[in-house]
Parts: sequence; C-alpha cells; structure tokens
Amino acid sequence: MILDSKVPGGPLAEKWDRHRFACKLINPANKRKFDIIVVGAGLAGASASASLAELGYNVKTFCLQDSPRRGHSIAAQGGINAAKNYQNDGDSIFRLFYDTIKGGDFRAREANVYRLAQVSNNIIDQCVAQGVPFAREYGGQLANRSFGGAQVSRTFYARGQTGQQLLLGAYSALMRQVKKGKVEMLSRREMLDVVVIDGQARGIVTRNMLSGAIETHAAHAVVLATGGYGNVYFLSTNAMGSNVTAAWRAYKRGACFANPCFVQIHPTCIPVHGTYQSKLTLMSESLRNDGRVLVPKNPGDRRPPAEIPENERDYYLENKYPSFGNLVPRDVASRNAKEQCDQGKGVGSTGLAVYLDFSEAINRDGSGVITQKYGNLFHMYEKITAANPMHEPMMIFPAVHYTMGGLWVDYNLMSTIPGLFVLGEANFSDHGANRLGASALMQGLADGYFVIPYTIGNYLATISSSPQDASHQAFKQVADEAAAKIGKLLDIKGKKTVDEIHRELGLLMWDSCGMARNEAGLQQALAKIPAIREEFWQNVAIPGSGLELNQSLERAGRVADFLEFAELMVIDALSRKESCGCHFREESQTEENEAKRDDENYAHVSVWEYNGDNNSPEFHKEPLTFENVQPSQRSYK
Amino acid sequence: MGSIGSLYRSSVGKKSIMAASGLLLSLFLLTHLLGNSVSFLGRDAFNAYAEKLHSLGGLVYVFEIGLLTLFLIHIITGIILYVENLQARPARYSVNTAEGGRSWGSRTMPYTGVIIIVFIIVHLLNFHFTDKSVPVADLVRGLLSRPPLALFYIVSLLAVALHLSHGAWSLFQSIGFNHDKYNGVLLKGALAFSILVGTVFILIPVLALVSRSFLL
Amino acid sequence: MSDIHLTLKIWRQEGPDAPGRLQTYASGPISTDMSFLEMLDVLNERLTGEGEEPVAFDHDCREGICGMCGAVVNGHPHGPEKETTLCQLHMRHFKDGDTLVIEPFRARAFRIEKDLVVDRSGLDKMITAGGFVSVNTGGAPDANAIPIPQKNAEEAMDAAACIGCGACVAACPNASAMLFVAAKVSHLSLLPQGHPERARRALDMVREMDELGFGNCSNERECEAACPKGISIRNIARLNREFLKAAILSDED
Repeated sequence: MILDSKVPGGPLAEKWDRHRFACKLINPANKRKFDIIVVGAGLAGASASASLAELGYNVKTFCLQDSPRRGHSIAAQGGINAAKNYQNDGDSIFRLFYDTIKGGDFRAREANVYRLAQVSNNIIDQCVAQGVPFAREYGGQLANRSFGGAQVSRTFYARGQTGQQLLLGAYSALMRQVKKGKVEMLSRREMLDVVVIDGQARGIVTRNMLSGAIETHAAHAVVLATGGYGNVYFLSTNAMGSNVTAAWRAYKRGACFANPCFVQIHPTCIPVHGTYQSKLTLMSESLRNDGRVLVPKNPGDRRPPAEIPENERDYYLENKYPSFGNLVPRDVASRNAKEQCDQGKGVGSTGLAVYLDFSEAINRDGSGVITQKYGNLFHMYEKITAANPMHEPMMIFPAVHYTMGGLWVDYNLMSTIPGLFVLGEANFSDHGANRLGASALMQGLADGYFVIPYTIGNYLATISSSPQDASHQAFKQVADEAAAKIGKLLDIKGKKTVDEIHRELGLLMWDSCGMARNEAGLQQALAKIPAIREEFWQNVAIPGSGLELNQSLERAGRVADFLEFAELMVIDALSRKESCGCHFREESQTEENEAKRDDENYAHVSVWEYNGDNNSPEFHKEPLTFENVQPSQRSYK
Repeated sequence: MGSIGSLYRSSVGKKSIMAASGLLLSLFLLTHLLGNSVSFLGRDAFNAYAEKLHSLGGLVYVFEIGLLTLFLIHIITGIILYVENLQARPARYSVNTAEGGRSWGSRTMPYTGVIIIVFIIVHLLNFHFTDKSVPVADLVRGLLSRPPLALFYIVSLLAVALHLSHGAWSLFQSIGFNHDKYNGVLLKGALAFSILVGTVFILIPVLALVSRSFLL
Repeated sequence: MSDIHLTLKIWRQEGPDAPGRLQTYASGPISTDMSFLEMLDVLNERLTGEGEEPVAFDHDCREGICGMCGAVVNGHPHGPEKETTLCQLHMRHFKDGDTLVIEPFRARAFRIEKDLVVDRSGLDKMITAGGFVSVNTGGAPDANAIPIPQKNAEEAMDAAACIGCGACVAACPNASAMLFVAAKVSHLSLLPQGHPERARRALDMVREMDELGFGNCSNERECEAACPKGISIRNIARLNREFLKAAILSDED
C-alpha cells in the first residue's frame, strides 16, 4: 500500500488555501442527495454533523450516551488555544504552529498542524457567535491565559469548564439541524462495524443499546469521531464509555492505524486508592504554577508530610531541572514521578503518589490569593479525597489522559478506506508524540467545523449520488457477524467479570507500555496479552440477554476489542526504538536520563495495516519531512 | 400579539395568571382586613362602615362580580395546575425529602385552597346572602360567638394565612420578579403579610368568643 | 480509610412496561473512599459473580460534568450532598449501618428504561425546540467585535453550567423542567448573540416543555437545592419574564 498524505504543494501558509480551491465542489441542489453518517457526538462529531447539515447534506449522527451532549470533550477543563494575538504579546499563526509541532516532538505533519493553527481563530469566532460564554475582561473583551507552559497568553476559557461550553455550543448547533430535519440523531447506539462495499465505506452496523436490535445504516460516506482509546489501561481520565471499538473495527476493515503507542500520561491526577477504583480524575495542570512537587528523601518514609523536615524533602523536579523546575512538560513530569515511586519514595497508602505542596506559595502570597487561583480545584480535590490542600500537600500521580495515536488519515482526514473519514482524537494527525495543553479542543473543532465540510465534498464529488440503502448483501453479512459475536460472548457464561479481565489487561499495559517502555517488558506483554484474551473468551461472565439494555454486554464488546488492540500498541511501541514525546524507550535516553529522539531512523509515522487475525500487521512508514521548522532536541535543564 | 388563549395553554402563562389573580385577591384581602379592623373601634364605627359600603350601591355590585371572576379564575386555574402536576409524576417516590424551599405553606397550597373555597361559601352564606337589615355588628357577634362556627373560622383563617405564606412570595417569582437585593425582603414580607392577615382576621372570632364587650 | 456496611434498597425494573420493586441488598464492606457509583460497581461485580443481573445505571465521565449519572438516594436526587453529582458523592458521607433507598429519577416525561436508567430525551427535545443561536458555521464576526460586560458573561456562564442531568425534574414535587429550560433561556438571553431569537426561543421551549408532559413550576425551590451545579431559580424568574414579554408583547406566537 502506498500512503499518500495528499498534502498540497506550495508554501506552508498557502497550502490550505490552495487545497480548498482545488477541492471539488458539489452544487447545493445535489448536496441533498448525499447521506453522511457521523459516529460520535463529542466536539468533532457534533461540529461536523452540524456543519455538514448546514451545507445541505443529510446527516445521521450516532452516540452511545443517552444524549449527544455527553461526549467526553465535555470534561476538558483548561481551555482552547487560538492565535488571535488579542494580548499583543507576539503570538501568531506561525508561533502556534511552531509550539504545537515542537510540543509534539516533531512527529506530526507540518501541513496539518499549520492548518490547525490557521483555523484556530475561526473557531473562537464561531463559538462566540453560538453564545459560548468565554471569560471576559471588565471592558467586555475576551480574556486569555497562558497555559501548559506557553510563553504567550493564547488560551480562551470558560471557567474550568471550557470543554463543556464548547461542546454545548456544538451540541446546540447540532440540535438546530435536528429541528430542521437535516440531522437524524440516534442516541444510545453503539457502532459495531463499518460496512465496506467495493473498497468504499458505505455504512455502519449499530446496536440499539435499549432494545439490543442490530441495525444497519447506509450512506455515501462515514465519519468517525469516536475519541481515544485511553481506556485500554482500564484506569484513565477518560469517561467510562470511551472505547476503541469503532476505530478498531474500521482497522479490521482496512483503515490503517497510526502511532497507536503514543499515549499522553498527565502528571497531575488524583492517585489510585483502591482496587475498586473505576476512573482517575485530572487536576488542572495549572496547579504546578504554584505547587512544588516533592517526595521524602528516604525510601519508605511513611511520616505524614508535615512531620518530614525540610532537609529530608526531595524537590526532585526543581533539583533536576533548575530552569524549568516544576513546570517541565507533561511527559517529563510524569516520568519523574514514576521514577521516584519506583525508588520506593512514593507516598500515600499505595506508595504510588507524590506530594504537590502549596505551603510556600501560601506563605508567599497569602491564603486568599491561592484560594482565588485554585479554590475550585482544591474543593474538587477535597470532595474526592477529604483532604484540604490548603492544610496538607496534595497527592498526585500520573494517569493516562489522551491518545495521540489513532486511525491514519490524509490531509483530507480520510482514512485508507475511501469514504471513511476520521476526526478529533480518533485520528492521529495533529499532535505528534505529545499533545500540548488546550489543543485537543482546538483540533476537534477544527476538524469538525472547518476541515471536513470542504474535504468531504472533494470525495463525494467523485462518487455517484444515487440513493444508498442497506439492502446490499454486505450489510446483512456484517450485521450477522456482529450478531454472531454478541451471541458468542453471551454463550461463554464463565466466572470472571468483564471488569476483572479489563483490569488485568490495564495493569499489564500500564506496567509495560505506560510511562516508560523497554524491549523486555514489551516482549513480555506481547506474550501475555493473548493469554488474557484467551481467558476472556473462555471465562467471561455476562448475565442477561442481548435483546435488552445490557451494560455488561456493552462493556464486554469493548473489552474484546481492547484485548486485540493492546497487542497492536505493544507492537508499535516495540518497533519505535527511539524515545519521543510521550513514548519513552529506556534504551534510548541521554546521559541525563532524558528522552533521546532518533530523527535519522524514526522521523516517520508508524502505520499499521490489518493482515488477518493470525498474522502480524503490516508495517508502513509515512516519512515526516520538516521544511519550515528545524527539529531540535528538547531540554528543560 | 399573542392571544390570551395560547398564554393560558402554557404552564408559565397559567402560573402568571395565578400570580396576577392572587395578587389582586391579596389586595382585596388587605382592604377587607382594614375594613374588619374598624370592628376593633366599636360597634357604632363598624356599623357605620358597613352602611357606608352598602350605600355605594351599583359599585358594590360591579366590585363583587369582579371579585367573583377573580376567584373563579384563581380556582379553576389552580385546579388545572394541580391535576397537571399530579399527572406529571404518576409513579411516586418511596422516600420523599425536601431540601429546598418547600414549606408547609407551599406543600399544602391545593389543600388550603380547598379549605378556603369551602370557607368562602360558608362565609358568604352567613354574611352576604343574609338579612341585610340586621346591623353588621350584631350579625358578627351573633354568629361568631357560637364556638363551632368560631372554630371553623379560626381554622379556615389559619389556612388562608398558610396559603398566603407561600403565595404572597411565589407570585413575584411567577411574574418574573426575583432580585438578590429584594429576595430576602420579599420572603420575609410574605411571611409577615400572612401572619398579619391571619392574626387580624382570627382576632375577630376569638374576641367574639371570649370578649364580653366586643361589638356590644 | 475505613469500611462501612450498608443496606441498599434499589429499584429494580426489567423494562419500561415491567412492574418495578425495591429490592434489598447487603452492601458488603464498602470503603469510605469509594464514590457512590463505585459502591454500585462493587455490588454489580458481586451480583455478576452470583449469576444475577447487575443493577443498570447510567454514568459516563464520573467527574461530575457529563450529566449522565443520577439517581434519587433517600429522597435526594444525586444524594444528600449539596452541589454534587452522584458520581462525585463519596461514601464517607454515610454511616455504618445506614439504609439507602435508591430510586430512579421519576417523572412522566422520564420513562424508566431499566432499573435506574431513565429516558431523558425530553431535555434534548427542549433544546431542539429553540435552545440555540441560529448561526451557521463560517461567517461569524471577529470574536471581540461585540464587547460583552463581564458581569453578563459571568451570569450567562452561571446558567450555562447546567449539565442536563435532570435532577431538577426529579426533585420538583411537580416534575417540572423549568430550571432546565430557564438555564438555557437565561444563558442565551443574557448574551447579545441570543437576542435576535429570544422571544421565539422562550415561547418554543416552554411550549415543548408543556407538550412533553413536565409539570408546572410552583416555586417550591427544590430544583435549585438539588442542582449539582447550583443553578439559581433567579433564572426561572428570568424565563417567566422572557416568556411573558414574548407572549404578550412580541409578534411571535
């Protein structure tokens, strides 16, 4: 297979313009002859559905929650970046582009990232017009803050609920199209497979989560906006329902998967405190602006933090990185926390936590200032842990947060299956090996509002507009396969619950394919995953039937796919022998234990093609060339 | 311009009609209260006040029709709302707990309403559809010094007070008036108003019952 | 960390038309660090192990923002803690030996799908009726073109914080959805972007609310007490104003 990224020629700043001009158009009267399926109703899915419906296409949108307002984009706290330069502090499209591509450790496509920076400004305009209540200055102008170590203030925010407000904006645009009859909204539907006919995506098979009915839906194109796969680790900051099923099914039908091992681990989350734990909660990164990360100097020191004298405290980030201190990027902060815990210096009941201490800031600025800055975060922390960070240090630990990898897409956001488009976190395109704060919201909305409306037309113009229906034999076949799989799951009637097995997989992935990876550990994981999968297919317990609301069955279907997908992640991690961004291969580090990139051998996207259940996936490379920026080694000393 | 019909069909419209009629009825109650207070000045003053009212002639008639209409609007709308609200939750909770502003007043609105309807009918039969030649002071003294009727009045007037304790605040919210600056005053004001109305009205049967000189 | 033992009385109902009942379970040891939903997870793991059907309940983000979770615990939607969703309610707020009655959100407009899962699509329908600004993608003016006083933006944000969980409906003695509708109408009527459609929006959303069979607001203030985001009934007063203004003065009908 030849991977054609379809990046247009010309200077970086003109590529998108040229491409938009080159894109074929569909005349307004013909647009209504095309049906488009959108799977997922988070930022990318809702914005795409609304925008495509506004253009005149007939859109069917699916989500697995009870309402399209619940996609996990809603949980994003911090903000959304845009190169507006409202603060006159030297921001520009090029700077946002540069920061994003450097933050991704030079493993993203230049042209995609530049386009993202270009449309970032339109996103803010669009959201304000929808009534998103962004924070404002007294004079009525929009407020900005600096975020995630950026040196300019380019982040727009709505309290700590930016994701929620942006999603509700997109949701309202979507519901407006529902009212107009241009979008048919199907909630509580889980996509089980994609239907490919003559090499083109022609529809999907879904399960009605209330009745259990297997349904088929035909269209001229399918758009996946199904989010990330962080839940392969069982514990993550993702919503409980987030899963890889849609992407994985597409992969098995011929869509290539790119960089599956690129998983962002966020350093400031509330630590795990029991085996019953179902999810991890993120505490905003901004806490590191005033909190000092520390552990006791002596391994095994179990004294309460207040009893540890100053000379027995190890402020390891400040000591190791004098110039960046506590503000090193997410991947560096996460790895160092793990390192300290591995040395037995972790704190809390599990030993898997480090302290984040605000006492110096409280002494310096007064408790009033600190409360004003972090009061709501402290409140949230106290709600969960019953401890008040004003009086004792917070305990934090890294947690899986965002997956940069995803289905491979070209510049048009089309996967290797013609007619199958992938948006938002589900694709791999813009964040390289590490995502910067406040850019996930930007990417989801860029894809949905400002990219797919142009690029999908370019595809649709090449196919016939004759009506699509699900009568083709392929639909029945795929639906039968999906039903058979459900039947098989229900017939196992084993002893272990879905969560037990999922937890086992998660732990394995966390230990061997988490914050730091090495050849031996990855090989071990590769050997163990099939055994867990085998156990699952022999011994999972799923009560109830398939023809009703059955949440165990839903989870089982997702875990079955995670169990296959995990193997691909490990294979990908094994094949990338360099360290870059979030991907830390212990074999590839500098003398100071920092990630060492290998641009000579690994300046590429690792793209995997499904090759049958019993064969290894086929490896393809999409080389990355940097014509406008010079890849540099990151240093935070 | 939106028609009254469509206003009446909507929930917010009905609530605003409840509020507006409730406000006017409260104002009537206030004048009634002032009128009744004349009784505390003695039988002559009270009789004179009643004479003065009767002398208004046709105006009284118009006023009564208006009042009756207001009552009917308030009652019929209230019944519709009550039935709709019951239908809105066919299956009840097995545990009910109030943690908001639910009060004895708010929770009993439909029931105090029913008591008030019965009360008004009895009240009108006793004092309105009766021999107008008897001086009003004698009428009041004569009827309300009977313990069963006095007790009925006292209980009914307590219901009126309870009804007002919620209604007199609620009506402002229903017509859209809610402001942080005035909310405290309104809530307390409504409570004070209901206590005032209750106390003054109830004083009459109580005095008729226990006082040896009231209206004599 | 310590363990407590609870008696759980949970509403079990197989489907929308099936009869339901409260079923009693012993919780087993429950860590006080667990969230309420994790407590249900533990129960469900046990039930699954015993070959029984686990309790169905809606949930997703488990960090108090998606609005998908919710049940009535001892008469309190989302449990007894103020401004807390069920997923953020922790078991340390209960005492050893407590009995918890766990019921679904109840309203005619919220059909019970199974156990604690209810159909809240009515909330979406009310947004569909008018809870938006009619602006197509593209062509929006510069975001700073219309200054918005900070106070208005903040007040709009107070209302926009609604997570659409339906606790207001569950708490209302009349199963009214006024707080939900009011939050959206307020959010958009406080911002200039929402002004062109404010009359239409208030009329359409209220009409939809009424048609869906929600009850009437009787100003009992239970909704704001149950709201996990602390949305005030000031918004309901604003909705009343907006609606009356639209119904009496505007040309819309």
